[in-house]
Amino acid sequence: MFSYYVRLALSSIRKTPVLSALMVLALGLGIGAFMTTFTVYYLMSGDPIPHKSHMLYAVQLDNWDPNEPPTESARDLEPQVTYQDGQNLIHAQTPAKRQTQIYASNVIVVPDSDEAPFDELVRATYHTFFEMFDVPFKFGGPWTQREDDDHAAIIIIGRELNDRLFDGENSIGRSVQLDDKYLEVVGVIDDWQPTPRFYHVDAGNQFEDTEQIYLPFTWAIDQPLLPSGNTNCWKPPDDSLPLMDAFLQSECVWNQFWAELETPEQAAAYKDYLDNYVRDQKAIGRFERPLNTFISNVREWLEVNQVVTDDNRVLVRLSFLFLLVCVLNTVGLLMAKFLGKGGEVALRRAMGASRGAIFAQNLVEVGVIGVLGGIIGTGFAWLGLQAVEKLYRGYQHLVHLDPVMLTAAIGLATLAAILAGLYPVWRVSRLAPAGLLKTQ
Amino acid sequence: MNEIGPIFRALTRNKLGAMLIALQIALTLAIVTNAAHIILERAGEIARPSGLDEANTAVFITTLFDSNVDQRQLFRDDLDSLRAIPGVVAAAPTQSIPISGSGWGSSLYTSPEMPSNEAINFGNFMVDEQGLEAFGLELVSGRNFRADEILVRSLEENPDPTVTIVSQALADELFPGGDALGNTVWAEENGEKPMQIIGIYDHMQNAWPHSNNVNYTAMNPTLAMFGGRMMYVVRTEPGRLDSVMTAAEAYLSKNRSRIVDVVRSYEEQKQRTYSRDIAMVKLLSAVIIVLTGVTGLGIIGLAWFSVTQRRKQIGTRRALGASRFDIVRYFMVENGLITSAGLAIGLCGAVGLNWFLDTQYSVGKVPLWYLPLGMVALWLLGQVAVLLPARRAANIPPALATRSV
Repeated sequence: MFSYYVRLALSSIRKTPVLSALMVLALGLGIGAFMTTFTVYYLMSGDPIPHKSHMLYAVQLDNWDPNEPPTESARDLEPQVTYQDGQNLIHAQTPAKRQTQIYASNVIVVPDSDEAPFDELVRATYHTFFEMFDVPFKFGGPWTQREDDDHAAIIIIGRELNDRLFDGENSIGRSVQLDDKYLEVVGVIDDWQPTPRFYHVDAGNQFEDTEQIYLPFTWAIDQPLLPSGNTNCWKPPDDSLPLMDAFLQSECVWNQFWAELETPEQAAAYKDYLDNYVRDQKAIGRFERPLNTFISNVREWLEVNQVVTDDNRVLVRLSFLFLLVCVLNTVGLLMAKFLGKGGEVALRRAMGASRGAIFAQNLVEVGVIGVLGGIIGTGFAWLGLQAVEKLYRGYQHLVHLDPVMLTAAIGLATLAAILAGLYPVWRVSRLAPAGLLKTQ
Repeated sequence: MNEIGPIFRALTRNKLGAMLIALQIALTLAIVTNAAHIILERAGEIARPSGLDEANTAVFITTLFDSNVDQRQLFRDDLDSLRAIPGVVAAAPTQSIPISGSGWGSSLYTSPEMPSNEAINFGNFMVDEQGLEAFGLELVSGRNFRADEILVRSLEENPDPTVTIVSQALADELFPGGDALGNTVWAEENGEKPMQIIGIYDHMQNAWPHSNNVNYTAMNPTLAMFGGRMMYVVRTEPGRLDSVMTAAEAYLSKNRSRIVDVVRSYEEQKQRTYSRDIAMVKLLSAVIIVLTGVTGLGIIGLAWFSVTQRRKQIGTRRALGASRFDIVRYFMVENGLITSAGLAIGLCGAVGLNWFLDTQYSVGKVPLWYLPLGMVALWLLGQVAVLLPARRAANIPPALATRSV
């Protein structure tokens, strides 16, 4: 019966090609626009590390200018911490399972071969980074506490850089030249792309590739590798000291700091620990503002940093309204079309088709239109996402149509069409056959 | 206009159809006015002048990675070579580019007693004596830096400048009385690090397009040597930008101790910085175009169908003496009635949607005059869309009335 209805539907669609094409096109455009903006939104607001996001916490301490207005929420506070606070915490016995201190830098990689030197982004961090963030390794593995303590000249590189420098071979033990220094490879990271790149989201490039180079924080500071990310100071560094020392002892924030806290109790204990730490610091004349410390897990952290921008939300809202217009359009066209089918319906009724059968048959027709609209809509969404990728920089991880979205697009189109068709279909199934047959 | 009555009564027989079109028009008005508002606001932001000679300026960033090279000498060689390229008007080192998204913010105090939260934040540009000219700025009053006033700042030495040149906007903010020139400002609290304002230039934006102090900038007579990063801004004679960029890149790439990270025209730099706003403008423009298209096509489709359904009545009217124009007018008036109702609902919808978007996402209030403009535009859209089916209706022969089907 169903396949018979589908055949009837297709022949009915062929009978009114312009009207049907308009309906399919309108539905397709609506679905396409909505799926484009929604896919971007959905991937932006995705959980970059689902199994652990509730256990990883970003740390904020309020070391800012006492003259500034009071802090009310984590959003009012700088998203980074000072070097000295990070160091104090990382060397302390805290309730956290693990902690890591991170900063971003730039280096020039000088290949052994004739290839020209090139620029690479760097993460300087502690060995705990890789375990905390579940970084997958292709060769070797994280360095250990000992290398952190020794300020060791070692390096972990990404798969892409390993392909470029070592043709993808196991490069453990080989050396890489950064600027004019040599470092020994201890690990090669496999493909790893948390989206958004949650561990450093404040720099406006939350969707960029992960770095291809990871170095011990302690070694990076010794060189010094200067930070390339956002650096904010509310008071100038002490200029009686050499610039780098003054910078390290300053109130400038430029480090990201993360703690792994496995249970809510552990999180509460860690928060208490931070509060006490700030109280101790107050005693020596720092932290002149009221006591404010914040820990935010990954999902909260993405919220605090407004990773999903208001622009994205506005686009999703407007494209949803746009879809609504398209659905209204389709309802109108369906009404017109079905009321024009009065004669045919009356004939079928007179031949013995029940109201239910008429209802089912026409609903199938609506469904067919919906599926066609969904297929075209997916095409439009694909085009839309191509456009989005061209328009925005650093969105390359955000613009693929994943299977969930594909199914959702076609499902949504069918659902929209069926909702749009419900009333017209009901109306047509209620038509009294006798009157219509008489005028024939 | 005496036919409005009958047309209206005929409409009430197909209430749902009319309501659907009216609702569509209403939503379209709401979306179009809000989208247009966001588009025009962003476009206005992008169009603000940066202060630079945008069409004739290029940016170069290189990174030195060999610590044996004398960076200060390299700076000198670079500047000599860049300035010698035919077509170059001026070239200067800088550590920040206006509207690039990354730069230095500092603050100034106008008295030793001023507390830190009252200090004026501004974009700090470390340049040499060609800075003003390379950025294409006009001195309003005072003088430029002399070559001997340029300091060198590095990780080892950290001298403080004693003179500065500020933008007119910053001068007015610091000294509302208009006496900024020659006055003293302090880089730190408690009267630390005094500087004299020796010049005022017309206008230049800072590095952050969305900051509220975007017009507060100042030139700092300093050659910045932090790490290996070396940045130059080069202004050329009109039409010489491409050849200068090619020659400059060739020169900079010759040195094997560094890499050339960025060779970019200023216009491209600005577009990169505004890429999200440009994207928003383009996406919303696409929404407006496609949406009006869909609404227009919907009106055509429905009117077309209603013409088909009413062939017989139309034929009868024609047979009873109605002219073709009367038939066309019938459909136009009908559409006008429906559209007007839709626009009335849409007016509330537009205001409501704007209220929602503004309170939730601070898009700002839609200027009131957008509403009548949008209404007229959509009303015309309806009339134009209905013209095609109406003319088809007008072509129905009166003889149709005499046939049984």
